[in-house]
Amino acid sequence: MNMNKNRDLIINGFGSSSGGEFDLASINGKGKVHGDIDCKHYDCNGFGTVNGNIKAETVKINGKSTINGNVDADSITIDGHSSMSGEVNTEKIRISGSGSIGGSLRGEHIKINGKASIGGDCEAEEFDSEGLFTIGGLLNAENIDILLYGDCKAKEIGGQTIRIKQRIHGFMKIVKSIYPTRLVTDVIEGDDLYLEGVKAKIIRGNNVTIGKNCEIDLLEYKGAIEVDKTSKVMKTNQL
Amino acid sequence: MSEELISKKDLLELTNISYGQLYRWKRKNLIPEEWFIRKSTFTGQETFFPKEKILERIEKIQTMKENLSLDELADVFSPNLSELSLEEEEIIQKGIASQPVLNIFKELNQEMKKFSFEQMLSIYILEKLLRSGDINLDEGKMVLHVMNDYYHSIKSGELFFIRKLGISSCFVVSSVDDIYFEKSTKIVTRVSLTNCMEELKSKLL
Repeated sequence: MNMNKNRDLIINGFGSSSGGEFDLASINGKGKVHGDIDCKHYDCNGFGTVNGNIKAETVKINGKSTINGNVDADSITIDGHSSMSGEVNTEKIRISGSGSIGGSLRGEHIKINGKASIGGDCEAEEFDSEGLFTIGGLLNAENIDILLYGDCKAKEIGGQTIRIKQRIHGFMKIVKSIYPTRLVTDVIEGDDLYLEGVKAKIIRGNNVTIGKNCEIDLLEYKGAIEVDKTSKVMKTNQL
Repeated sequence: MSEELISKKDLLELTNISYGQLYRWKRKNLIPEEWFIRKSTFTGQETFFPKEKILERIEKIQTMKENLSLDELADVFSPNLSELSLEEEEIIQKGIASQPVLNIFKELNQEMKKFSFEQMLSIYILEKLLRSGDINLDEGKMVLHVMNDYYHSIKSGELFFIRKLGISSCFVVSSVDDIYFEKSTKIVTRVSLTNCMEELKSKLL
């Protein structure tokens, strides 16, 4: 393989490539890459399929992109539709369109404005969501900020500060009052918790504030606790 | 050797750490994923840990985090080998091994000036075993051979040193749950490679 990093891979019409090392890898038409890509910038504006792993400084997806492999990048921006089948490691990721990740997602900052589904665990320092997400494994972050725009799901949630708020706006208010936005999870564990619209089996925390519309089977806390009267808590334990 | 388990709740109470800390350490890989054992109990799913290992690890993290950042700590506990190499004098200076032990190692691996992490680990273990008086010089060489030949393929596990009727032998296993010997076989010593690696790394930092 040629080690010259200054070359670009540009597919504008129909085309395919076998991967390699590039400065810029850009797919604007319908492109297929069979093999790993190691590049500075990966841009996909059209339909792009990569059967291999991607290692890049920036990954930008505006069109529809399928990556059958792992992605390792400093920053990832998804404005279109993207599916990545493997593990994703990054510093910063913003999902504004729709993103699905088969494996685990690891990053410093994760921001979800659109729709995300993650098969494995999701780990970050800052996790910020104003959209929908489904996480198959554990959501683990120092600070978790979630504004619920629809149904969200995670197997488990753990971290230092966890804030989950319901958001209802416009005419959707009427519809959503019948079908309220919810976050469904098995366990939430953290030091400072503020929860709204959460349906969980177990909540464990130090200082816990249960806002409106929660359904909790078991609540265990150490420090202070506050429960809104619109929420149902089956059992409360102080440790 | 079925391990005693401790639930997450009890662990936090016992060690006085918070959920935030525990999850942070998990993210930084200070606590390996395989120690999180999920079991269902009458209250639903609960997470358990191997008690001895986790308590030891948390104590280490707590004593070391005062002078090391979490990322540096992660390097200490990660099995990835640092790509550093040291000179003979540095090894002695840092208290990894003594001159006589280094000489034995040099005897077996002709002429070397720089020592890689793997080699240092072998030297460190040899130093440890010889110092404890459990094995003699020739046996030490045998340990070195085993380490040299198989270390690449194992990277974690335990080194066993056994003796039966005056004949000694040693081997490395990658994962042990239960191991049984014939009655007249005596386990002279067993060394956890992972522990040694951590000790060595903390000496290097």
